[in-house]
Amino acid sequence: MKEAYLGIDIGSISTKGVIIDEDNNILASSYIWTEGNPLGSAKKLLGILEEQFDKETYQIVATGTTGSARNLVGAMVGATMVKNEITAHAIGTTTLYPDVRTILEIGGQDSKIILVENGVAIDYAMNTLCAAGTGSFLSSQAKRLGVEVEEFGDIALKSTHPTQIAARCTVFAESDLVHKIQMGHPKEDIIAGLCKAVVSNYLNNVGKGKKILSPVVFQGGVSKNIGVTAAFKEALGCDIIVDENGHLMGAFGVAILAGRSSKRKVFDFSVEDMEFKTRDTNCGRCPNNCEIICVYRDGVLIDSWGNRCDRGAIKIGTKLAN
Amino acid sequence: MQKNKGAEPVKKKITIGIPRAMLYYRYEVLWKNFFSILGADCVISEPTNKEIIKSGTAAAIDEACLCTKIYLGHVKSLIGKCDYILIPRISNFGIKRNMCTKFEALYDIACNTFRKTSQKFLTYNVDVIEDCPEEKAFIEMGIELGFSKKEALNAYKEAKKGETESLKNHLKANESLYKKNGLKILIVAHSYVAMDSYIGKPVTDFLKKLGTVPIMADVVDRKDALKRSAKVSPTLKWELSRELVGSIDEHIDKIDGMVLMSAFPCGPDSMVDEMIIRKFRGKPILNITLDDQDGTAGLETRLESFVDILRFKGGTL
Repeated sequence: MKEAYLGIDIGSISTKGVIIDEDNNILASSYIWTEGNPLGSAKKLLGILEEQFDKETYQIVATGTTGSARNLVGAMVGATMVKNEITAHAIGTTTLYPDVRTILEIGGQDSKIILVENGVAIDYAMNTLCAAGTGSFLSSQAKRLGVEVEEFGDIALKSTHPTQIAARCTVFAESDLVHKIQMGHPKEDIIAGLCKAVVSNYLNNVGKGKKILSPVVFQGGVSKNIGVTAAFKEALGCDIIVDENGHLMGAFGVAILAGRSSKRKVFDFSVEDMEFKTRDTNCGRCPNNCEIICVYRDGVLIDSWGNRCDRGAIKIGTKLAN
Repeated sequence: MQKNKGAEPVKKKITIGIPRAMLYYRYEVLWKNFFSILGADCVISEPTNKEIIKSGTAAAIDEACLCTKIYLGHVKSLIGKCDYILIPRISNFGIKRNMCTKFEALYDIACNTFRKTSQKFLTYNVDVIEDCPEEKAFIEMGIELGFSKKEALNAYKEAKKGETESLKNHLKANESLYKKNGLKILIVAHSYVAMDSYIGKPVTDFLKKLGTVPIMADVVDRKDALKRSAKVSPTLKWELSRELVGSIDEHIDKIDGMVLMSAFPCGPDSMVDEMIIRKFRGKPILNITLDDQDGTAGLETRLESFVDILRFKGGTL
């Protein structure tokens, strides 16, 4: 039996999973929408991975989770490694592209830049707590324009004259966009303008003051948008690498980290059949009244978080009262 | 400036309420010493909690910064629990040594906001440009409380001595952190942000939990920091920002990274933090804007990944 590692990246918009072998070869992978249900989508994802996975030859001995629902899904699958998505992405990318110098990333809610030297991340920046110019911004604008966000890139490339759109702030961008639509700008120009706006917003916020050196890797859900990639290429004047597995990089990275760590726990796919429930309760033991999230597996508490201090700690194993 | 409503001399032992917010973290020792030498009691409001933020937000105008909202929450929690609530007005310590406008306005804002209560407020006015240094301000405050000029002056001098001593010890302890093993992260933030139990302290606690050594930039030889800051930017005029910038300049070679922490929407920080990012290159900087949102997930992701990057750099991840 050979060793394999499972990595799951549960983002706000999409859920990604990979299973890799000891040499970082991808044995199984999947990419699905989170649809506001991280536990459900993680289960669904595991079902898809199980179908692709060769259980006769390999055994999953370590599991990692990353992304904004990493704690929740980590509790569900019994993860041996729970790591933030930035680190996971950096590890994933530097493993595949050891000579990369700059990693640009735009996800559903976050955007970040990681500068790399000799395969080691040396500097980074992330958007402040604001989703301007990220994937969720593009999705909501797509909805307004009545097109699928997946078609955005192709439509943008048709434009010869991108419309100027102020994208410093999502709220202002939206009113600017509405104004431009009403003025009669063609749709493809507006969409191309949006792609450009995402890039200039990124470079002026996250990328400000950073020296962007080539080779540049662009990843995150938005990297699937060829309109944005083209705008980056134009703005930076260099080639932009978009890996075909770029969207899986977080899951890939956390699978590598899980494999590197000494923690071992055999993962079996039976969690798909277990019932997971979450419940939030307010602590009420002091004026902070923290909201505590409890995760139950088949009615028994397996994890909880959200409390600012020990007064709100809940004992693992407590039964769910109905 | 409004004139204090209740300024008649008092004979019985007076109780001074001190909001645990804003300049409390800077002047705690000076204030407590001064009042205790004069024989007055001090009541300090509870550490910031959600209730305080809520009531402060309700009392403040929308545009006020988070720290002002927190401050008003603290003031409100002290109403009825003391004879006076101390709210200084500190405008400047000289040319290019200004305080944020908030510190000029707080006394008037609080008096106005809580004008329908019978609470009395106490202030002292530091405005060196208008020839009103701290000593003079404290004497006036003492006289207002019914003490003689001499009593007030002596109490101030004694209190100041205690403050100097305490600052010296604090500085010594803080400087020793720079020699500690482990990742040293400079926390560039006003003390009322960094030390606040609800907004800033969870950040430093989390950094400690991650096994790093967070060090407060504002604990610094202030005179020296002012000099250094003038070299970094000759036009920077906010006293507290200058101390922070000077501290970075002094310690940058001894640290692994910096966390700039600011409370939304802080005016001075919005400019100074940008300047810091542009002027101090070579050390990773994490810029955090705190607001009163409850979710800490985004924050923890940022801190965790920042520390990972620093470890990466050291090759120990």
